[in-house]
Amino acid sequence: MAGIKDLGVGIGWRSEIDLTVERLPGVDFVEVVAENLHIGHLPESVTLLLERGVPVLPHAVSLSLGSADQVDLHRVEHLGAVAEAVGAPMVSDHVCFVRAGGLDSGHLMPVPRTRDALDVLVANVKLAQRNLPVPLALENVAALLEWPDGELSEGQFLAELVERTDCWLLVDVANLYANARNIGTDPERFLDEIPLERLAYVHVAGGEQNGDIYHDTHAHAVLPEVLEVLDELCSRVAPPGVLLERDDNYPSDTEIAGELAAIRAVVNKHRG
Amino acid sequence: MAAPTTARGTRLPPEQIGYLVAGPGRAAETALARLLDADLVRVSRDGLVSAVHQTELGVSTAVETFILVNLRRAVRFDAVVRNAAKSAEMRTLHQQLRARRLTRDPRPRLAAWWVFLAFGVLLSLLAFLEPWTLFGAVAFLGVAYWTFGAKPLTRAGRAALKDVTASDRVLTVALEGFRGRIGNQSVGELFGLPQSVVKMLPRKKRKARNGGAASAAGCGSGCGSSSCGSSSSCSSGSSSCSGGGSSCGGGGGGGD
Repeated sequence: MAGIKDLGVGIGWRSEIDLTVERLPGVDFVEVVAENLHIGHLPESVTLLLERGVPVLPHAVSLSLGSADQVDLHRVEHLGAVAEAVGAPMVSDHVCFVRAGGLDSGHLMPVPRTRDALDVLVANVKLAQRNLPVPLALENVAALLEWPDGELSEGQFLAELVERTDCWLLVDVANLYANARNIGTDPERFLDEIPLERLAYVHVAGGEQNGDIYHDTHAHAVLPEVLEVLDELCSRVAPPGVLLERDDNYPSDTEIAGELAAIRAVVNKHRG
Repeated sequence: MAAPTTARGTRLPPEQIGYLVAGPGRAAETALARLLDADLVRVSRDGLVSAVHQTELGVSTAVETFILVNLRRAVRFDAVVRNAAKSAEMRTLHQQLRARRLTRDPRPRLAAWWVFLAFGVLLSLLAFLEPWTLFGAVAFLGVAYWTFGAKPLTRAGRAALKDVTASDRVLTVALEGFRGRIGNQSVGELFGLPQSVVKMLPRKKRKARNGGAASAAGCGSGCGSSSCGSSSSCSSGSSSCSGGGSSCGGGGGGGD
């Protein structure tokens, strides 16, 4: 994949499981939440991984690129500084907004899939890109609702975003699965519509069904159905990397290793 | 994990061995070591201990249960040990050991014991000149012996430790504590714990032993996990490590 080197299979680095991440065999790369890192005082574990040559990719959650307000350049600057501190080849955030009118939602909110909202998003993404030292990848989010009067499908929306900003895509197959369950997104159509040649890497995570709603909790085991979406993606393109996200209720090292092995098996199945 | 036996052939769990070796703090360390060994808790680099699963499945003792139910949120490594050492469950463990006559409440040495000792010795010397002072000598030496204080371990307790070896990493913690060393290796390293975490625990000074022969010898790097095997394959008699003994404050000793 031009521009993005092969990352392999990785896991989201979290301070609660830092020793686990260090010990796990076959962790090819890790992702850190950029907002949790302080420049000049990187966690010892992250430094250790860097010394071992493990790529560390900063992942942001607070740029709020879909906000009608202009993106906060201090946050962009921090993300860029983290990228430089860890020597990252790229950074990422989400296609969402997390604040509006001075209020913070504490959640990754989906943007309306209208052309007006896309214009706002594109403007913010371009501004962020101009202030970042490395390429930016953007992730599809899990949504519990769809804004009314949408003009584009999620895949079309992302495809146009890529076309207009030259950003990379971070496809979260767990979010895709959640959207299929909750708002009727068709994963195959989504994968048909996005430019897979701009795929930076893939997120995989667990969740649970609660009544009629599937919650993308990142605190439960990865469902086989999520791996099926990954399988579908891998049948179309060899993803440069696939990363397991776990943010709470951390299972044993053995179980985490098992989930990584399951992901690797799906990836390798299509690599022959 | 090898199950150590007492001189009477009764099985003594690692937690109880830890208690006999160095008191409730060491027993708490041993319980935590068992939970780590069973993959039921994890420790992060900044020393926070958290439960792997919010269930008590796999827990084998009341102290382990106490630790696990108090890990709904991450707790500092040293606080886990301290809290468990002071828990009601640990007091129950002490009572169980007392009931089995393996330990007793320690009687502290009086500061003035040496005064009685000196008088006793003096009167003993005088007895060569004045034989009647021998009665005083015996009395003062008796008081000196009494005020020296009683060790927490009974003879049976010392016997129970006699043949205990660090045949796996949990027993190694029972004998040496997380801060102990096996040859050139820190006991904490057997669990992959960074020194910064292990050093959260206060170091307990090892005193000279007089009795029990519990030994940490022979484990070395071979005890990196509980799959170390039988005690015979890992123990090689005593060593300079001289695993904890009766004088380390078993019974009423403070937290390790």
